Amino acid sequence: MRAATSPTTRALVTRRIGWTAAAVAALLLSVLLSLTVGARSIAPAEVFDVLLHGGHSDAAEIVRTMRVPRTLIGLMVGVALALAGTALQGITRNPIADPGILGISQGASVGVVLAIAFAGIHSLSGYVWFAFAGAALASVAVYAIAASGRGGATPVKLALGGAAINALLTSVTMAVLTTKAAALDEFRFWQVGSVAGRDAEVVGQIWPFLLAGTVLVLSVARGLDALALGEDVAKGLGQNVATVRITAGIGATILTGAGVAAAGPIAFVGLAVPHIARAIVGSDHRWVLPMAALTGPVMLLVSDVAGRIVFPPSEVPAGVMTALIGVPFLVALVRRKAVPA
Amino acid sequence: MTASSAATAVGMRPAGYALVRLGQGRFLLHRRAAVAAGVLTLALATVCVAYLCVGESNVPPADVLKVLFGQPSANELVVGTLRLPRMTVGLLIGAAFGIAGALIQTVARNPLASPDIIGISQGASALTVGAMTFGITSYAVLPYLSIAGGILAAALVYAFAWRGGLHATRFVLIGIGFAIALRSVTHLFLTKGDYLVAQQAQIWMTGSLNGRGWDEAAPLAWALLLLLPAVLWAARAQRTVSMDDDTATALGVRLGRVRLGLVLTGVVLASVATATAGPVDFVALLAPQIARRMTRTAQIPLLCSALMGALIVVVADLLARRLLSPTELPVGVLTAAVGAPYLIWLIIKGRTGGKA
Repeated sequence: MRAATSPTTRALVTRRIGWTAAAVAALLLSVLLSLTVGARSIAPAEVFDVLLHGGHSDAAEIVRTMRVPRTLIGLMVGVALALAGTALQGITRNPIADPGILGISQGASVGVVLAIAFAGIHSLSGYVWFAFAGAALASVAVYAIAASGRGGATPVKLALGGAAINALLTSVTMAVLTTKAAALDEFRFWQVGSVAGRDAEVVGQIWPFLLAGTVLVLSVARGLDALALGEDVAKGLGQNVATVRITAGIGATILTGAGVAAAGPIAFVGLAVPHIARAIVGSDHRWVLPMAALTGPVMLLVSDVAGRIVFPPSEVPAGVMTALIGVPFLVALVRRKAVPA
Repeated sequence: MTASSAATAVGMRPAGYALVRLGQGRFLLHRRAAVAAGVLTLALATVCVAYLCVGESNVPPADVLKVLFGQPSANELVVGTLRLPRMTVGLLIGAAFGIAGALIQTVARNPLASPDIIGISQGASALTVGAMTFGITSYAVLPYLSIAGGILAAALVYAFAWRGGLHATRFVLIGIGFAIALRSVTHLFLTKGDYLVAQQAQIWMTGSLNGRGWDEAAPLAWALLLLLPAVLWAARAQRTVSMDDDTATALGVRLGRVRLGLVLTGVVLASVATATAGPVDFVALLAPQIARRMTRTAQIPLLCSALMGALIVVVADLLARRLLSPTELPVGVLTAAVGAPYLIWLIIKGRTGGKA
């Protein structure tokens, strides 16, 4: 493996570095867009001025209290969902694995509903734990359903297991919201999936979880590569398949739980981004994971910015925009027969 | 002529069928299906009486029967005005969902292709909730929007899943994708309206019979009556679709058209029911599957599916009214609580079908 001096390998490395630089540039551009575009456009120069020197003009207040937290949350949630999707697609060896399709986001949602309605918890640092518990239960349940019976965890069985869990959890949510009407008013703004209007404190509260999940997922990058070759080959290569799956699974659950607790269930980022990342840098997870972490926030921030300008003056939440962008992606994926029946 | 042809008919009678003579006409009757239909009708009648008896105030069965047969009774208001119309709506939507599920499952040859999994219910929800948030709350308009939404969603899924043929797996996966996207559009509309509209829409979305009366039952009954010829046609056409493609083509059946007709009938039925009570999840999935296991016929039996659907909805609504009384749950919560585990069981047993 270390004989990395052959011309083709060098060309691959150059290509990967080039694309990574491009992704960084795209990320910076989307951050800038997210800071400047909105109901009130603020010139980039003014944004920089505010960020560097502060100030008390209207524009400065908007940038500081609204745009900066929103952009930071978009960044973090984008990273979290993209890494979670990549890890899930890796451990299930399944091209359509996504926290939304597999029902893991819905599990986190139910956790949050129960926290709001019964435990009287209204702060993110409080209900993030409920989100974790819900996400973990849902992911275990879906995988158990799909893996049992003939044929193992095929894409269709995973998606159907996800649909079943989604339906079941939705009915639990509805039952709670019917009996506790007050919770609906808080919950309806959360369940649509948006990075707007969240408290700036949220940023400070989710980064430890984000860091923990990222470290877990990155630590098994080599294991995910081996797993991509098949379970038996991975064992032959000396990988402990169970450890890799469990570590990556816990990482993905933490990332999904944190992302959903912060922004609500945002679908399809975890589905689309890993495919884009693999198309760009190949199948090596040590490159795919960082690339996904760079492109995930780009997709989410661009969706968010697009949502601000399609129907002014009102906004379309990022969760709706990602779903509208993600469905054509899923359709293309399924039609291309990337998904074995 | 009559004697000899009757003898041949008896001689060629397939196993499990009985020959029934009605005046000049004769037709074959599947014995087991007839028994199942009879049992289901009896069960449904019992449950209906129980539904009318039980509630905030319990009414003795004798009084219920009095009200039903139009004799004066002290419980006229509770039974005749509150419970009876609601039960009628439940019966009708249950039957409609049951038949819709049976037709769509027949064409897709897959139990999972029911309207609530492949995005039809979600399409109906999205358009209806959207209209509600923009201030259209009249029941004169909403049902049509709901029907339009359901048909539109079905058309989209069908179009995107079509690739030189309809592959069941592709159809279901794309349907699930559309279902998720349409649900998020519905959530968007929920945040736009004011709180009361959101609450009303949320309950509608779960599927609820709360406060349904004759005003909703009458248009529903008319719509189903209009669809009756289509259903009768479908009951015959169903048989040709279950043949394999080569046999059907050899017999001169235009399979494509028949399939489209069956799906369209199913989608319209599901959308009409959704328009009245919201997407009552899983009835369309469950009813045909249980009915088929009861009759053990090759095709999914339409009459038994309809009876089974009605039975499920009425039982679920009875539980929804009483379980957390005085709070009334939406009936969809209960059907989903029963239906989702059944779907999980189907997946585990591998009965998800691979090809269509």
